[in-house]
Amino acid sequence: MNIRCFQRNFSAALPPLVPLQLPSPMETHLWYVLPDEVKSWGLLNQYSELLSPCEREGVNRMRGDQLKKRALLARALVRTTIARYQTNSQMNPRSLKFRKNLYGKPEVEWRDEDNFSPLPLQFNLSHTSTMIACGVTVNVPIGIDIEEKQRRTKNNLIAFAQRYFSAYEVKVLTTISDPEVQRQEFIKLWTLKEAYVKALGKGFSAVPFKTFTIRFRETTLRNFHPPGSSVSEASDIIVESFDDPTNPTNNWQFTLLEVAGSHYGAICIKKDRTAGANELMKLTVWKTVPFVEDVCVSGTDAVVDLGRIIEQ
Amino acid sequence: MASLAGSSISMQPRHALVTSRVSGLKLVSFMNQGRSSLSFGLRSMPARLRISCAAKPETVDKVCEIVRKQLAVPSDKPVTGDSKFADLGADSLDTVEIVMGLEEEFGITVEEDNAENIATVLDAAELIDKLCSEKSS
Repeated sequence: MNIRCFQRNFSAALPPLVPLQLPSPMETHLWYVLPDEVKSWGLLNQYSELLSPCEREGVNRMRGDQLKKRALLARALVRTTIARYQTNSQMNPRSLKFRKNLYGKPEVEWRDEDNFSPLPLQFNLSHTSTMIACGVTVNVPIGIDIEEKQRRTKNNLIAFAQRYFSAYEVKVLTTISDPEVQRQEFIKLWTLKEAYVKALGKGFSAVPFKTFTIRFRETTLRNFHPPGSSVSEASDIIVESFDDPTNPTNNWQFTLLEVAGSHYGAICIKKDRTAGANELMKLTVWKTVPFVEDVCVSGTDAVVDLGRIIEQ
Repeated sequence: MASLAGSSISMQPRHALVTSRVSGLKLVSFMNQGRSSLSFGLRSMPARLRISCAAKPETVDKVCEIVRKQLAVPSDKPVTGDSKFADLGADSLDTVEIVMGLEEEFGITVEEDNAENIATVLDAAELIDKLCSEKSS
C-alpha cells in the first residue's frame, strides 16, 4: 500500500468537519480511533490528502500495510481533531502545521499568515496496533499513553522493572503473587510513567524512569451532604520525584483508565494552581472515525476509571 | 578496529556526528543497495563517509537479530543498518526492551541520554561498539 500511488476514485468530497467546543479549564478530551473499524480504502485515501508531504513520506516509510495505516490514522486523527476546535471559521485540517519542541515533543505551530486564529490547545498522541488516541486540553501540558491489556514483555517483567523502575515500584510489583495480575499492574504502571514523562515534554533522558515513583495514595474525602456527613476512602495516583525539587510533583494529576475493554490508558495533566486540592480532572471520551462519526463513550463501560476507588 | 572507533569518538560532538551520519547513511544505502554488511562499502567510500560507518558488521548483525525478535518482524521484511525502529513499528516499550536486550547481550549499560538518541540499528551498533571499547580500555 503506497498511498501516493493509490487510485483516486472517491465519488464525493469529504463532508465538512463537525465543530467542537473547547475543553474547559481542568477538562481533558480524549479521542480514540480503532483502526479495525476503518476499512474503507477510499476514506483512508482521503485521510492521506490531509497530510503534509513530510507526513505522507513518514507513513510510506513504515514497513507493512498495518503500520502504514496506523501512522496515517494517527496523523488524520490529530489534524481533524484540532481543526474541529476552531471557533471562528472553518479550519482546514490540511493547513495545520506541526513542529517539535526543543526536546522532540510535537506541538501545533500557529502562524500569523494562516486564516484562522491560534487555539490555546495542547495535545498528545499515543498508539498501539489496535488503537490510536489523542488527548486535548486548553493551555495545560498533557501526556497520554495507551497499551493493550494483553501486552507481554519479551524480557522478564521483574528484571525489566529492576532495570528501569524505582525501588518502591519494584517492591510493589514483586509482592503481587498472581503472575497475571502482576503483568497487568506492570502495564498500568508503565502507561502512568510514560504519560508523566510525555506531559513533562522534556524527553525521557530528562526524567529517567528510575528517578520517580508513581503510586496509589490513600486519601479521605469528607462529604457534607444531608442527612449527615460521610467519609469516603479514595485512592489518588501520585508521583514522587527524587531529584527535582524545583518541580513540585503535586502539580500533576493522573487518570488511569480501561478503554474499550482492550487497553489501559494513562493521562497526566498539569494542575491549574487555582484549582482546589481535590478538584478532579474532568474527562470526556469519544470513540471516533474522522469525518464519519463520533460516539461519546464517557459513562459507558467503554471507559472504566481504574485510578480512583471510592468506598464508603 | 580500535583506531576506527577512536577516530569516530574524537571527531565531533555527538549531534554533529548525527548530521553527518544522516547524509552518510543515505549514500551508504544507495551505494550498497540495501546490503547490511558495511565492511564492503568502506573500501569504496571517500574518507569523510568512512568516519560515519564506525560500527562493526557483526555488531550490526547482532542488533538486527535482537530488533527483529523484539518487534516480531516477518522474515520477508529486511532489517538493516539504516532501519529505523519506529518504521518497524517499535513503540517506546519496544525500544526500551531492545535497549535492555542489547545491554544483556553485550554486557554494557546504556544511559538514558544515549538511549534517547538511538533511532536506527546503526545508531545502536555504534553506541555498543563505543561502550564496549570504553569498557575494555
